[in-house]
Amino acid sequence: MVAVETYQTVAEAAAGLGEGARYLGGGTIVMRQVNYGDQGFHRIVRAARPERGIGNDVQGLRIGAGTTMADILAHAELSFLHPVAGQIGGPAIRNMATVGGNLFAENPYGDMAAALLALDAQVIMAGGQTHPMERFLADRKHMRGLVEAVSLQRPQPGAFYYRKVSRVKPKGVAVITLAALIRGGEPRVVFGNMAAAPMRAHAAERALGGGVSEASIAAACAVCTEGLSPTDDALASAWYRAEVAPVHLRRMLESGGHS
Amino acid sequence: MTIHKGRGFACINYPIGMNLGGDPSQALVHSTPDGKFMVALSSIDLGQGMKSVTRQIASETLGVPVEDVYVDTADSDTGPHCMGSFASRGTHRVGNAVIRAAAEARKQMMEAAAEELEVNASDLDTDGAGNIHVKGAPGRSITVAETAIAAQFKQGRTLSGRGIFLVPPSEADPETGDMTPVTCFAHAALVIDLEVDDETGEVEVTEINSAYEVGRALNPKLVEQQLIGGAWMGVSHALYETTEPYYPRRDHGPEDFNTYLQPGPGQITPHHIAVLERPAEDAPFGGKGPGEMCANPVLPAVANAVYNAVGVRCDQLPITPEKVLKGIRANGGARPQGAR
Amino acid sequence: MAKTPVTFTLNDTEAALFVDPGASLVDVLRRGAGDLTPKQGCAQGTCGACTVLIDGVPHLSCLTLAETVQGRRVDTAGGLADGPALHPLQRAFIDGFAAQCGFCTSGMLMAAKALLDHNANPTRDEVIEAISGNLCRCTGYEPIVDAILSAAAQMRGQPALQQGAL
Ligand SMILES: Cc1cc2nc3c(=O)[nH]c(=O)nc-3n(C[C@H](O)[C@H](O)[C@H](O)COP(=O)(O)OP(=O)(O)OC[C@H]3O[C@@H](n4cnc5c(N)ncnc54)[C@H](O)[C@@H]3O)c2cc1C
Ligand code: FES
Ligand code: FES
Repeated sequence: MVAVETYQTVAEAAAGLGEGARYLGGGTIVMRQVNYGDQGFHRIVRAARPERGIGNDVQGLRIGAGTTMADILAHAELSFLHPVAGQIGGPAIRNMATVGGNLFAENPYGDMAAALLALDAQVIMAGGQTHPMERFLADRKHMRGLVEAVSLQRPQPGAFYYRKVSRVKPKGVAVITLAALIRGGEPRVVFGNMAAAPMRAHAAERALGGGVSEASIAAACAVCTEGLSPTDDALASAWYRAEVAPVHLRRMLESGGHS
Repeated sequence: MTIHKGRGFACINYPIGMNLGGDPSQALVHSTPDGKFMVALSSIDLGQGMKSVTRQIASETLGVPVEDVYVDTADSDTGPHCMGSFASRGTHRVGNAVIRAAAEARKQMMEAAAEELEVNASDLDTDGAGNIHVKGAPGRSITVAETAIAAQFKQGRTLSGRGIFLVPPSEADPETGDMTPVTCFAHAALVIDLEVDDETGEVEVTEINSAYEVGRALNPKLVEQQLIGGAWMGVSHALYETTEPYYPRRDHGPEDFNTYLQPGPGQITPHHIAVLERPAEDAPFGGKGPGEMCANPVLPAVANAVYNAVGVRCDQLPITPEKVLKGIRANGGARPQGAR
Repeated sequence: MAKTPVTFTLNDTEAALFVDPGASLVDVLRRGAGDLTPKQGCAQGTCGACTVLIDGVPHLSCLTLAETVQGRRVDTAGGLADGPALHPLQRAFIDGFAAQCGFCTSGMLMAAKALLDHNANPTRDEVIEAISGNLCRCTGYEPIVDAILSAAAQMRGQPALQQGAL
């Protein structure tokens, strides 16, 4: 049986982590592990008042790690993230699932993490250190401490693109997830479920460097799976993912960005 | 990208019940002292409507209001034996057993009423509203409740009945293989319309049209409910569900309903159903039951429709986007099988 | 291990229970409070049968740490009916044959209630979205969507909608 330890803030919870502990965010992943008797931890550490909500800091927007998908949907200022949050789970999941938890959610999850990677977000730890999303996701297995918030700049209207490929409608988990930020000179193109964690498609980014056109889209699609390493799972094979990734990248870019 | 439309057809003759050394089911009916009737079964209702339909059958046979009949399927340890809820056998096998049990209980009910009214039981009839009266003289009557009270407390008589329905074992003729494993068949024909995306292999069913011959539809709403829900399940089996996505390899089996896929409420397909009623002779009030075949014909019809749309013949279920796309690649492109 | 005392409002009555550390809300509702209306279909968050409202908002009770409802309000399908008078949603589910085995029904009802509580006149797509976290193995969803729309119409004082015609 597990023990539950409740602290007030994320910083206090981070200090209390220690051996055999798992932090409980919204619990949509951790509680399943508890229900099924996961032996990987015997202490649940939680914060009664995690940072929850949307604010502004020097970087731009700051989203507390305890912010739920429903919170994001309730915030008109974050309309560019609504297609992302709105397709995570059903309404009950969205009322529980947090941004912080999504950064650690393994395949086939992690849609918000993929979007935040495209948006070039920074991860702010409870101790104050910050990591770029890209480094954070590559190292997340070894991250110590807790996430306090993420910060990002609001994209220009129409600059953020998102597409989730799912077989079950209106809600299902992703076969692959795509997100892109098209901004002058340095576009960012991200795939979820095409590697162990959401990953940038650098070759596609280079192809789109001169802007989005029919020709640059074709060039980006031709190279978009370079450097990615999709695997087989219950939803699709590595072969299928690699085959349709360019198709969905083209469809996403052709259908326009979200504002 | 092209979206290809396809149409597929399939039909089915579904044998009602099974026959591995005989197919029996039993029912017991008894009255409570206040004239309600209990039907005891071990035939489990898992949503298919066993309780509703056996309740209707018992009420019709007893001649009492359906509100006064209760069906108890709670415990297969203590209830009368049933082979089980499968093979679309429930309405037919159990319904027939209930008719027999209820007929025996009715006979005793009429005899008890006759004793109270001092007439011959054969001169009595029920009005279906809870009364028993002398034929041609509705004024001379007694309620079912009064009859049950009299039987219990005055006459010392039970109003109860036992029923069994057995489809006996049918040996195969060693020379010809000839046998009669089942006594009746239900029938259906079904048309699927769907669309295939030739760049992703994704399939979306757009419309279902079906005709079902189920004997008499004893409860038309339940029949409709079975056919609509069953067709959804058929689509799910045809396109989504598998525990072994890489069969014959066993790896990467789904571990939850996020990865064990089924179509969601955003994929409700218009389904137009024609129910044809041709009551079967040996079926309870002619009802054969839709049962399993509400899902079965959907699978081949979907497979045929995918072939019609893009020329890919999938002979392994489910027909995933992956298999369709592989087939399209192997053919060197989509090969629509002609205009419709 | 020491149990944790939890008090909360369960469908208008006060519940005071001792819960095991790590216990899920669905477990505590069913075994502790004796409210068997939330069903545990998967304990993974993936079926929706355990859907309850916490402070009016739908949550999956299998993924909710029971002790976190301290001082809050929990509504289950067990509180829908007013004595013998069924809630319009329950009535519409019965009239519309929106349940077969019934395992999904409590969760569907609560997901639907959460919708109708703040949107009296939902579109068909909004109903579909509202139940998108709730699986049904039996009905094919259409009778459920129809029933929720019908209940909504009735609660607005309009006649019940015609259920999906044969
Ligand atoms: C039915 C269903 C559907 C789902 N659909 C989707 C989907 O479509 N897309 C998707 O991306 N996900 C989906 N998920 C997965 C999950 O709900 C989300 O990824 C969610 O955002 C996880 O957040 P949480 O707060 O619930 O995480 P928790 O379960 O609380 O935590 C998950 C992990 O993150 C760690 N963690 C949480 N917060 C912090 C923090 N602040 N600092 C450090 N570590 C932390 C925890 O210790 C744990 O290891 C689904 C889940 C279910 C059950
Ligand atoms: S039991 Fe909670 S979602 Fe299945
Ligand atoms: S009625 Fe059986 S799961 Fe919905």
